[in-house]
This record gives sequence, C-alpha cells and structure tokens, in this order.
Amino acid sequence: MKIRVLGNLAILAATVALSYGMQVTKPHYADLTAPVPIDGAMGQSVPARSFDVRLDKVVFARQLKTSQFGQQRLLTTGGLWAVVTTSLTATATSTTVADGTWQGPTGLRYHQTERLGYRQDMPPHGVDPGLDKTGLFVFEVPPDQIQGAKLLVAARRFGPLDAQARISLDGVRTGPDGQPADILPQYDLDAPQPGSTPQGKP
Amino acid sequence: MTAGAGTIAALFVAGVMGAFGALPAHAPPQLPPDAAIDAGRWRVQPVRAYVSHAKIYGVLLKPGQKALVLEADMTNRTAQSDKAYFDVFQPQGLVLADRQPMIALTRDSTLTPELHPGMTERMAYVWALAGDTAVPPSIGFGITSEIFKPRDNLYGMPGWFNPYRLGTVTMPVADRPATDAQGGS
Repeated sequence: MKIRVLGNLAILAATVALSYGMQVTKPHYADLTAPVPIDGAMGQSVPARSFDVRLDKVVFARQLKTSQFGQQRLLTTGGLWAVVTTSLTATATSTTVADGTWQGPTGLRYHQTERLGYRQDMPPHGVDPGLDKTGLFVFEVPPDQIQGAKLLVAARRFGPLDAQARISLDGVRTGPDGQPADILPQYDLDAPQPGSTPQGKP
Repeated sequence: MTAGAGTIAALFVAGVMGAFGALPAHAPPQLPPDAAIDAGRWRVQPVRAYVSHAKIYGVLLKPGQKALVLEADMTNRTAQSDKAYFDVFQPQGLVLADRQPMIALTRDSTLTPELHPGMTERMAYVWALAGDTAVPPSIGFGITSEIFKPRDNLYGMPGWFNPYRLGTVTMPVADRPATDAQGGS
C-alpha cells in the first residue's frame, strides 16, 4: 500500500516536472509563424519559395543622387547609403518581391529606405519566371553595422511561413576598422551602370 | 479584533488589486528641456519650437492658418526600423486645427519616414493652428511613452503597449514671420 502511494506521488511529481518543462520551452508564437529562412552567400542564386535572388553588388556612398518629379535631389544620411544590386527571377509564376531588410551583425534590422519615393527600379519588384531582372534595395545603415551583415529578401514585409532569403554580405571588402573599403562620395541612381564585375566573385 | 484584522486584510487585498488606481494620480513630472528623454521606443531631445506663418519643411498650410513647429532629435531605441512616433509629442493648452501633426525629416522634408535603429535624425512636428490662435510664449509638450512586453496577451508576440504620459517638456516658442525662408524647401 505504501509503495503504491509513493509510486503515485512519483508519477505526479514527474508529470508536474514534464508539464512545467513543456510550458517553459514552448516555442514563441512569433517563432512558430516566422518566415522560413534560406541562407546563401553573395553571388550565389538563393532559391526562395516564389523567387530566386542573387546578390550581385553592394555599393556604399555618403550621398545619393536621385530625381523625383523631374527635380534633382541630393539625399544625405547620418550613416552610409548602401545600394544593393540583386538579380531576381520568379520560379513558377509572375510575382512581386517587396521587402528588403539589412540585418546588422548584432541583429538590428534596417528596412529599405522610404526616402526615395516611387521609382521604377525600387521595390516592389515585379518578377517573371525565366527572366532575370535587376532589382535595387537601398538602405541607410550606420558604418558599424556593415561587417557581418546579412541581406534579408522576402516577397512581403509580413510573410508568416513564407520563404525569406538571408544572404550574408561576406564579399564586402572592409578595412581593419570594420568600415567598407570603398565609400563613394556620391552615387547617382539615374546614371547608367557599367557592365559590372560583381563583388564576391573570383 | 477579528473585524479589525478583516478590514486591514480587505484594504490590503484591494490595494494589491489596484482599487486605488482611481485616486487622483501624481501629475506627470516636468522634464528638463536640455536633456535626452527615453520615451519607450524613442529617445527624444527637443531642440526648438516656433510658430511658422509659411510653408515649412514641405508641409503646406491652408490659407489663414499658421503652424506650431517643434523640432526634436529622435533616436530609434528598438532593434528595427519604425515610424510609430506620431503620438510622442502633444502640445498642451492650445486649440489645434488637427490633433495629428504632420511630421517631416528636416534633412530633406521627407514626410514620416521610418527611423532606423540608433540613427538620430532631426524631425519637425508641425501642427496646424487657426490664424487667430493666441500662442503663449512657452508651451508644454506632453511626452507619451509606451512599455515593452516580450509577449502580448493575445498572440504572445513582442510589442509596445499601454501608452502613458511620461512628463511634460516646456519649450519657449518663437514667432517666425512669413518672410523667413529658412527650412522651407
């Protein structure tokens, strides 16, 4: 009889411990419905669910030149402008790629800038299967958030359980202080870009 | 004796359960105007306030209106770009034509851009006023803050909730005549 009582108590204690363990290790709802990450590197085609993305080039500049409503604008920033050139193509059907985020080495997330207004080559990018399209993403980032950063590209900003390409910016040449090696004083978004040799490729 | 203990217990339980929240609360404190203030997701530093009679930072005014402008240095304290700064400042003791301000980046007059983590930007809050509103020489701006919850009660998502009045910053208000073209673009 005594053994039975002790056994029941042991089972009860084990159940309490197990339930508590399950409660404290329960995944966060935000994690359960988070985008599905697909990791990749610069210059490599990263297959997300509805599109493929390849990061070709990252240019840093202190000022950005653009035209809006026929007027030249020179945009300054407290950090650096990062102009990321990607090559996008859809996998199965025509779709749009709207969200680009710069994730710093410590996990700070810098959304693409909203200061450029509407431009043809800015997100959302309409992409079609079998057709490569150049898509720009422009960010304002502090200089200390460049080394070890990642580019996150997704079809939309809030895309639970959709794919999100996470491309590490390992091909960005940085100096010993972590700042990028080449910073242009000014970058003209409207200038025709010469046939580029993408960074991060041999 | 027993009744006394019961009364004390009841008062204690009521206090714990927040029954005294309805008592007049302490007034929000005056905050120093020359120091940065941590207000929830924003670190704010008011710089100057003035009344403008012309278009300011790209914000157009209706004919006969003037505008109360507050310029402040804003820093995003969170881990991602955000633009939830619409309710941070609220001028007190004035009749506003519209309670919602127009908010512009002073750098290039972009309206309500997202601010990025750790990057301080000077923002101009522009409230439209009727042209005959009497503006006192100094105005208190109420500062609203929020608290961070790692898990909200509905989805368990992290977020900022429960806005509350952190305090008031009193700024002198200059009058800027229409001929002064500074800041407009």
